[in-house]
Amino acid sequence: MNKNMKNNIVKFTAVSLVGMAMFVMAACGEKRSEGQNMIVLEEGEERTVNLFSPMEKTEPGVDNVARSASDKTVIMAEEKLGLKVEYITYTAEDHLDKTYDDVALERAKNNMDDIYLLNPDVIQALAEEGKLMDLSGLESAKNLRDVVRTANVVDGKLVAIPQEVVAYGLFINKDMFDEYQLTLPETPEEFLECCRVFKENGIETPIGANRWWLETFVLAQAYADLYNGGNTEAEIAALNSGESKYSDYMRPGFEFLQELIDCGYIDAEKAYVSEAIEGEGEDFLAQKTPIVMAYWGAANTDTAYGKTDFEMLVIGFPSSRGQMPVIPMTGFAVGAEAEHAEDAMAALDVMVSDEALQVYTETNKVISPSKNVEVDCVPALKPLNDRIKENVYVLGSNAGMKLEQWGNTCLIVRDLLGGATVDECMAEFDRIQEESLNK
Amino acid sequence: MKKKQNRKKIDKSVSLLLSIILVFCILGAVVFSVARKISAQMSDSAIQNLTESLDLIKSTIEAIFDKEAEFQKLMALEIARAENPEDYIRAYEKNQTMVKISLIRSGEKEGISNTGEVFSEEGLDFSLGEEVAGVAISQSYINYMGTWAYTMKCPVERDGREFGMLYIEYVYDSLDRSLPDGFYNKRAMLYIMDAKTERLVLKPKGMGERSAGHVNLEDFYRANDIKDKKLLDEVTTCLAGGKSIMFYHNIRGKSALNYMWAVNGGAIYLIGFVPIEAIQQEGKSVNQNIFVVVTVMLVAFFLCCILYYFNHREQNRIQKEREAEREIHSKQLTEALQAAQLASNSKTMFLSNMSHDIRTPMNAVLGFTTLIAKEAENPDKVREYTKKITASGQHLLSLINDILDVSKIESGKVVLTVEEFTLSGLVNSVDAIVRPMANNKEQKFHVEVTGIKHERLIGDETRVNQILINLLSNAVKYTPAGGSIWFRIMGMKQRSSQYEHIRIEVEDNGYGMTPEYLKTIFDAFTRAENSTTNKIQGTGLGMAITKNIVELMGGTIEVSSQIDKGSLFRVELEFRIPEGKEEKEFWQKSGISRILAVCCDKRQGSDIQALMANTGVLVDVASGREEALGLAASGIAREEAYQLILLDGHAPGEECLQTAGQLRDAMPGMAPILILADQGMDGIEEESRHIKNVAVLWKPFFIQSLKSKIQEMQAGEKKKDATQPAGESSLEGLHFLAAEDNEINAEILSEILAMEGASCVIAGDGQAALDCFKNSQEGEFDAILMDVQMPVMNGYDATRAIRGLERRDAGEIPIIAMTANAFVEDEKEALNAGMNVHLAKPIDMALLKQVVEQYIKRK
Repeated sequence: MNKNMKNNIVKFTAVSLVGMAMFVMAACGEKRSEGQNMIVLEEGEERTVNLFSPMEKTEPGVDNVARSASDKTVIMAEEKLGLKVEYITYTAEDHLDKTYDDVALERAKNNMDDIYLLNPDVIQALAEEGKLMDLSGLESAKNLRDVVRTANVVDGKLVAIPQEVVAYGLFINKDMFDEYQLTLPETPEEFLECCRVFKENGIETPIGANRWWLETFVLAQAYADLYNGGNTEAEIAALNSGESKYSDYMRPGFEFLQELIDCGYIDAEKAYVSEAIEGEGEDFLAQKTPIVMAYWGAANTDTAYGKTDFEMLVIGFPSSRGQMPVIPMTGFAVGAEAEHAEDAMAALDVMVSDEALQVYTETNKVISPSKNVEVDCVPALKPLNDRIKENVYVLGSNAGMKLEQWGNTCLIVRDLLGGATVDECMAEFDRIQEESLNK
Repeated sequence: MKKKQNRKKIDKSVSLLLSIILVFCILGAVVFSVARKISAQMSDSAIQNLTESLDLIKSTIEAIFDKEAEFQKLMALEIARAENPEDYIRAYEKNQTMVKISLIRSGEKEGISNTGEVFSEEGLDFSLGEEVAGVAISQSYINYMGTWAYTMKCPVERDGREFGMLYIEYVYDSLDRSLPDGFYNKRAMLYIMDAKTERLVLKPKGMGERSAGHVNLEDFYRANDIKDKKLLDEVTTCLAGGKSIMFYHNIRGKSALNYMWAVNGGAIYLIGFVPIEAIQQEGKSVNQNIFVVVTVMLVAFFLCCILYYFNHREQNRIQKEREAEREIHSKQLTEALQAAQLASNSKTMFLSNMSHDIRTPMNAVLGFTTLIAKEAENPDKVREYTKKITASGQHLLSLINDILDVSKIESGKVVLTVEEFTLSGLVNSVDAIVRPMANNKEQKFHVEVTGIKHERLIGDETRVNQILINLLSNAVKYTPAGGSIWFRIMGMKQRSSQYEHIRIEVEDNGYGMTPEYLKTIFDAFTRAENSTTNKIQGTGLGMAITKNIVELMGGTIEVSSQIDKGSLFRVELEFRIPEGKEEKEFWQKSGISRILAVCCDKRQGSDIQALMANTGVLVDVASGREEALGLAASGIAREEAYQLILLDGHAPGEECLQTAGQLRDAMPGMAPILILADQGMDGIEEESRHIKNVAVLWKPFFIQSLKSKIQEMQAGEKKKDATQPAGESSLEGLHFLAAEDNEINAEILSEILAMEGASCVIAGDGQAALDCFKNSQEGEFDAILMDVQMPVMNGYDATRAIRGLERRDAGEIPIIAMTANAFVEDEKEALNAGMNVHLAKPIDMALLKQVVEQYIKRK
């Protein structure tokens, strides 16, 4: 070893030892003087916004993508505004429990929270009572697609803004369709034929259903012509004035559902008590059931149908105009008398801004309500997305209709599941139409 | 032995390594156990801390329940006192805690609420009989506000009778305001669970991850992967018994402490978990600190080890170096010893040789002097003996000269005297010495000079001469009578334009040498030993001197030889070419611009042309008589007649002379014809005199020789034969002052001078010589012969003193140094002291005569 190297080693060692000694002394040398207040004073009171939303039941070790995406936008709002968004959640334990919609309605009526994630029927109900803020003044509201704005305007007020356009469709096990050489159904007749083949081939219940989403079959058939026939406004006006009856629109769909039930293609009893995805998801993933219905995001999240062992496709519901996506509008609303209304409005403005929606849409691979945000969807969703891009869809809810569609149809479908006849269901429609006309 | 040592070393290293490992193991075990103990203590402490925190929360909630119950009782009293209890109820506004107040009068199923609705107990479940401070509490339910609530009922008594039942609905949300905003740095998860329904009725803000939310206990189990049946059974048992439970379970891969904490006797539970890392934060920190300290210690230890290792290695290296140095020293010492022994042996050998070599001639001298003493009356014998004594003395002298030479060369005292010289002079002087020696032995001596471009060169002529004389005299010595000796000087390809590259070859067909002897031929005091050569006198130093001189000149010498076939010595030397020497002037003055060289040998013609290249003289070469005549004729015809003809005398003498005659006839005027004759062509010189203006030029051809011959011819005189001894000079009549301290030498000198007809005054030292000169008359002495090493005053001082005398002849009288100090330096010092010339002892009478003649003539 040359002399230089040796010197370097000695120097290095000396410096290291001195450095270590200094480090240790500095680390251990903290001195606390007597008489000093040892309590770290808390910063000023934190601004809080309460957000009421449903919580899908979590699985151990699995991230909920939908929640993750929403979280990202919430965090953006927190960081931008310097406030804290607290989550308040509710999920019904079973069908005997109050539904999320019930609880949301009650909480909103009693000003329990600031921001609510609401289904269309609740939005409409609360808006009609004047319990929701007009969001049209928000900066982010200017970027909304017309279809989204239309679906969420009640009495001239924009009462809710969604983070995604929720499109419902049929989730198809393509492998099983191929196995029985079945083409993807376009019309109700073709759909029935597919179910017949499955049934004959030992698939006990070809359609997995829950108590929430069977209405999509009905709505698709009911309004396929209304929304795609070129006379939408006039037809809605006729319904609002009572000139036309909702029951006339709804009947084919209900009869179709009845046939599915009668043929055993849907297990009505099970569906009546099943929560969304929980009830039918297991069989679908196990390839015991080739068809279920769900919303767009279910195809992206691992807690739903994001990871399947088979080729899955999402198509529209069968209708006279072919495969028909059903688009209800869930959305965030702010309570009119919310405790932290101002902060809630600001937070929501951030959460549905183009920047936040870009993040949300990219994470969730969904259709953005903002006309400025577009991302590619997963391959499974392509058939459904293609139809939406063609502007072929049915709105699951429309604030422009006096009779709330999404919730009411859901309840009446439940009646059908519970044993009511199609006529009884139609009579119910007539009754509630009458009620709405008298409001 | 070495193996044993190595093994010992390895064993030592292994045991050292094992010791270190053992120390580390012990240290590790201690650190581990300490860390574990600390961790366990911290864990216990954390569990205790968590227990206390949960107890605090529990107490808070129970306190709230108690206060609510107490307040409700007070309200019941107030209502009892109110005139119209219903109005009282209606007047009451809900607040954040009590969201609904209702009253049902006794005996009625329905009552009123402050919300204005009709109230009944339907939907409220008091069946479990839970109470708080004596007030019944219902199971939890979702109330009209969409939030989890419970109702407490207490009787309203008026005048000791139950008047009705007061129901107050409380929301769990109100508890949140009284609970801490998270604990364990908001990493603890906490829910409030209704024990009966196992529904999670409240997740206080800041308690656990925001994105996690559970519906009920089952969902909590599922989400947190709590499946262990035994554990679940135990939890169920605890829940049924209203007891608290705490257990470890991994939540999302992280160890966590889970708890079910009974509140209000188990009516509600606090359930949740705290990650262990959150609980053991301090323990972890302590462990980290321990780890840091241990790491620092380890690093320090390793640094020490490294330092020790490097130091050890350095020490080893130094030790090894020292050992190596010691070994080298001892080796050097051994070598030195061997060299010294060798030198001693050599010295012994040298002395032995010298003794032998000196004794031999000395023996002859003494022997013959004895014989002379006996045979003093017989002049013939005396003459014969003195001749032999002289020969022995000469040999002794040459031996001493050689020894001095070797001594000078080896001590580096030899300095080359670089001067301009001519090859012709060199060859002539060598030829003059060697040829008689060869002739004496009837040997043929051939001199060949080829390829030389420059005749004038710069170098130490004396030393070159010495080399050549050594080689050639050896060749003569070791070649039997009738043999041949070739002396060749060849111009080689120049390595630099400024240097003439010359190869000198001396070849003979003599006795030759054995390969063994060839290896040592250039070593001092070696001589070919055989029956033949032993008869030849020699110092054995000649070749050593020759090699040393050659190398001193930057040249090389090599030898090849075969027994009875002869030897070939090859010396290669480079001599500087003098610059700007005007060669043309002579030829212009002599009126020679064209020369015809008639050479049978083409190479000789081109050699002449090469040598004459710088003289401005055109040399035409004719290869034979006819061509020569033709060229001569054509030259005349063109009026460009040759001014000189060189005719190669290689052809037999008669033919050569005929050609010379024909050329003489053909050439009008007196253009000289020079016959280039080999040495030994006796008579040709005489015969050539018969032809007009024809002379002989002895080979080898040199410009200098040619010029001399031309000058000689032009002067019309014949130059004295170079080999002819110089005219006898005589010392007769001269009177010397001789400074000589040695009486014998002084006597010899006196006798010799007397024999030569001269006389001398002997002075015993320098001072005496000085005094003698002082006292002498001017011109009394013709010269002073001055010894150098003398007592009282040495020769140099005496000379200076004499030269310093103020008398006319003090500066002029020749002072001749006669000393045994024979080195160049001695000569230089003598001249510096003012002496005229330096002669080395013993006295060479011929040389003395020559010198005396020279200087006295000057005088």
